[in-house]
Amino acid sequence: MADNMHLHVDENNIAHLKMNDVENKNIFSNDFIRGFLETMDELEANYKPHCLILSGLDSVFCAGAEKDTLIDLSNGKIDVKDLLMSERLVNTEYPVIAAMEGHAMGGGLVLALCSDIVIAARESRYGAVFMNMGFTPGMGTTTLLQGLMGEFIANEMMFTGKRFKGSELAQKGTNINYIVPKKDVLAKAFDIALQISEKNVKSVNLLKYTLSAKKKKLLVDARLQEDMMHKLSFAFPETKERINSFYAE
Amino acid sequence: MTKEKIIEVIAENIKENLDDLENETIDPMKSMKDYGANSLDMIEVVSCSMRELNIKVPRAELADIENIDQLADKFLEHAEA
Repeated sequence: MADNMHLHVDENNIAHLKMNDVENKNIFSNDFIRGFLETMDELEANYKPHCLILSGLDSVFCAGAEKDTLIDLSNGKIDVKDLLMSERLVNTEYPVIAAMEGHAMGGGLVLALCSDIVIAARESRYGAVFMNMGFTPGMGTTTLLQGLMGEFIANEMMFTGKRFKGSELAQKGTNINYIVPKKDVLAKAFDIALQISEKNVKSVNLLKYTLSAKKKKLLVDARLQEDMMHKLSFAFPETKERINSFYAE
Repeated sequence: MTKEKIIEVIAENIKENLDDLENETIDPMKSMKDYGANSLDMIEVVSCSMRELNIKVPRAELADIENIDQLADKFLEHAEA
């Protein structure tokens, strides 16, 4: 197993994948993406999971793209592997529960959008920060964010790039299943996972197949639009400057 | 713009962005971290306050600031510029 990922499958066939790249704080480095995909392969080759809990670090669930990738994109090198992760989650045979104890930004938040059930922490922040760096949202954000946040909050998140606090989202009434204190996020995820694991796994798989059809389509739609918008917005001369000043934070 | 006004704005934004501080008096000699702020909370408090006070401080100048009082001084410097 990649050392930036921890996988554990318990006696109830609940799989828990913890994205654990402490050094780089769970950004989409090539190693991170490879580690994630390999761990998913390993899970499916060796186990029959009834459901998957996807979690991250205490401070950061997933921080999205790394600066070098974005600079490459602004230099016209288009080779984005991030989408492989969204597609992988949407195409699983079992439900995925995103247990976000820490912050989730940009593509990191998309991992939750591609999940079936989402748990967030009151103390952490969640943002679709793409526009802060001068380019349009990607990885499926433009078609998937509405489902989790509601259309108008999704609009605000995308246009302003604001990092919303979990407690603030809780007041707004989004579609996030639970927004609880950080220390309770994993326990909540395991409680839901246990309820799912008690069901007939064959029927769970069927249900997942049906429910994911819509998301698969939304992801294909997003790809068409977002790729075109990226070709345009990454080529704006201001974008590189904004990326650099964003990462100076 | 007075320093008192700046501190008032920062304190309001700290209360708005962090839990359970409604009845707390914010001590400017403390850091936002002392009130439970994580790094993204601090960025949000700073950007909200700058918008409210209509000032812009480059990120690089904020890196070494240790407490709310120093942040207010930095804001004041840019308000007067």
